[in-house]
Amino acid sequence: MFNIVDSLNLLLPGLYAVTFMAYLVNFFKDIKRLDNVKRLFLFITLLLHAVYLLSRMITFSHPPITNVFEILTVLAFCISFSYFVLELVTDIRGTGLFIVIISLLFQIVSSLFIKDSYEVKEVLKSNLLGSHVFSALLGYSGITIAAVYGFLYLLLYRELKSSTFGLIFQRLPNLEILEKLSFYSAVIGFATLTVAIAIGGIWLPRAFQHFSYADPKLIATALVWLLYGLGIFFKISGRWQGKKVMVLSIIGFLIAIFSTFVTNFLAKSFHSFY
Amino acid sequence: MDLLAISINHRTAPVELREALHLNQDEIRAYLQELKESLLSEGFILSTCNRTEIYGLPRHDKIEFADLQRFLTQKRPINGISDDHFQQFFSSAAVNHIFRVAAGIDSLLVGDNQIFGQVKESFQIAEDQRLSGPLLKRLFDAAIRVGKRAKTETLISEGAITVSYAAVQLVEKIFSNLSKKSALVIGLGESGEIAAKHLHDKGIGKLALTNRTTEKAERLAETLQVRAIAFENFKEHLSEYDIIISATAAPDTILGKNDVKAMMRKRSGSPAVLMDIAVPRDIDPDVRKIDGVFYNDIDSLSVIVEQNMRKRMDEIPKVESIIEEETAAFFSWLSSLEVAPTIKSLRDLFEQIRAEEVKNQINKFPESDREKVDILTKRIINKILHMPTVELRKSADNSTDSAETMEMIAIIRDMFGLDKKTKE
Repeated sequence: MFNIVDSLNLLLPGLYAVTFMAYLVNFFKDIKRLDNVKRLFLFITLLLHAVYLLSRMITFSHPPITNVFEILTVLAFCISFSYFVLELVTDIRGTGLFIVIISLLFQIVSSLFIKDSYEVKEVLKSNLLGSHVFSALLGYSGITIAAVYGFLYLLLYRELKSSTFGLIFQRLPNLEILEKLSFYSAVIGFATLTVAIAIGGIWLPRAFQHFSYADPKLIATALVWLLYGLGIFFKISGRWQGKKVMVLSIIGFLIAIFSTFVTNFLAKSFHSFY
Repeated sequence: MDLLAISINHRTAPVELREALHLNQDEIRAYLQELKESLLSEGFILSTCNRTEIYGLPRHDKIEFADLQRFLTQKRPINGISDDHFQQFFSSAAVNHIFRVAAGIDSLLVGDNQIFGQVKESFQIAEDQRLSGPLLKRLFDAAIRVGKRAKTETLISEGAITVSYAAVQLVEKIFSNLSKKSALVIGLGESGEIAAKHLHDKGIGKLALTNRTTEKAERLAETLQVRAIAFENFKEHLSEYDIIISATAAPDTILGKNDVKAMMRKRSGSPAVLMDIAVPRDIDPDVRKIDGVFYNDIDSLSVIVEQNMRKRMDEIPKVESIIEEETAAFFSWLSSLEVAPTIKSLRDLFEQIRAEEVKNQINKFPESDREKVDILTKRIINKILHMPTVELRKSADNSTDSAETMEMIAIIRDMFGLDKKTKE
């Protein structure tokens, strides 16, 4: 079992790199044969990544959430998995490279620095916590993908506004599709974040006798949740659309990343396990 | 192979001469009948707005390119036409040329979609007029295959290469489903009418037309079953449309920045596409600075056209590779129509059948008779094949390239499946 963990830890960055290259080549050169090949690469990578995460859980007797590098590998998996589902549902295959690269970078960092801890704090062995973290990471994956599509939307928007018709114009799907992809990702992210908050709300009083609802992590999470909730409401009600919503998705993502960084590394919070 | 071809096209002659020699379908039929009686044993005529071409097998070897050219030019008085306006192709060059034409790489607009249909039509007319034998039929099949392969295996016909099509390509980069969008076309001169018809063909959800001359707008609106708006009131309706195409002949702008700002306020920021294909421009170009407005004029649409043309030009080597393959296949088939290989293939086929049957049945005969069975069956085969072999050789002695010989060979090869057997 130990060898599987080590072997897959070494293999995963390579697999993500190969998958990324397939999407990259297909973006620059419209090779029809690569359309299915790249999806197959992504599927195999995700399958082996799932095996890796399960192996870690069994080997070390705790969910892989006990240090930031374990979180990174789970996040890498969630981001690519969310994209894979989106690609299957929409059959829009031309944007994968912008998503897979994030997984590749996260996985490289994780593989280089991940610590194998048999001994962890008791509180981190909880499966309820594991579910909370996993759904939170799925939530942040949705938010990340929404931001990526928001960014691509703004790139294409800029080319169209300035009547320059480069590779972005030629290869990306149209603005409406990019907006839809971003919105669906944001909705899924918001939904899973809601699940994460709910599970966290159940787990927190059981795990910690003394905690404050003014904890920086709780405030930051509530802020991000409210921001996305409002954005989705205004979008559905038709008050906001197009560029405005896309800019919001990017701002929301930046706030989520910044607040996670601050609360996990700088502020004093019960959420700092490291 | 004595295939002759002459061509007057966009590369060799100005539009006035090409127009003068353009033939409609009835004229093509009549010309083919005359050619059949005087010059060609097989042939076809291709005539479009950019070329008129005659291909054919001459009735006898004294018939030359000049005869075909004279045939064409003497039908109508044409000032200024000379031999220099014609290209001439013989045998493999003629095959190569028709393949290039069918694939669209000889067209004025490379990758032209229309030419393939026009080439197929010319083949059909030749077949209807009974001016195509096995050789031309094979050539037709190969040319059609080249055209299809060029379209499916390369990107030679991809991307918009006219301003109207580029406008639609641009719209499709903003909106995903045209059937849920609406468009207004302002000005129904040639460009406006083409744009309106194009949007209609693309399945736009709602289309409206407006023109200074109301009757023109109403006439086209009735044809396309869409709405006509009075020119005096069209600004009140601007916000109802996602796409506005302006193509009037107005000397000044008809839509200013304030008009578009007011339109966008009513649309609550929902994106709008403004295509200004008029010269001079109808819409103040400053409107591109308004959020949610995508403004393009002829210059920016021409950029898309140029890019797509460059991409098509990059595909030409792939198409030429397909043409090379099909040309080689065609001439390989042609060489199989020589007499000696056909006689050999026929004899081999009969011998194969004889040997198999003898092998399967020989055990029913006593040992002493088996050699006799072998000899007897060989004699039967030789007697059956004697007449066909003699006739084929006689035909070969007269001329191996004659249409009659080729027809005989083609029939024998088809009837006995000699080409299938060769592949097996």
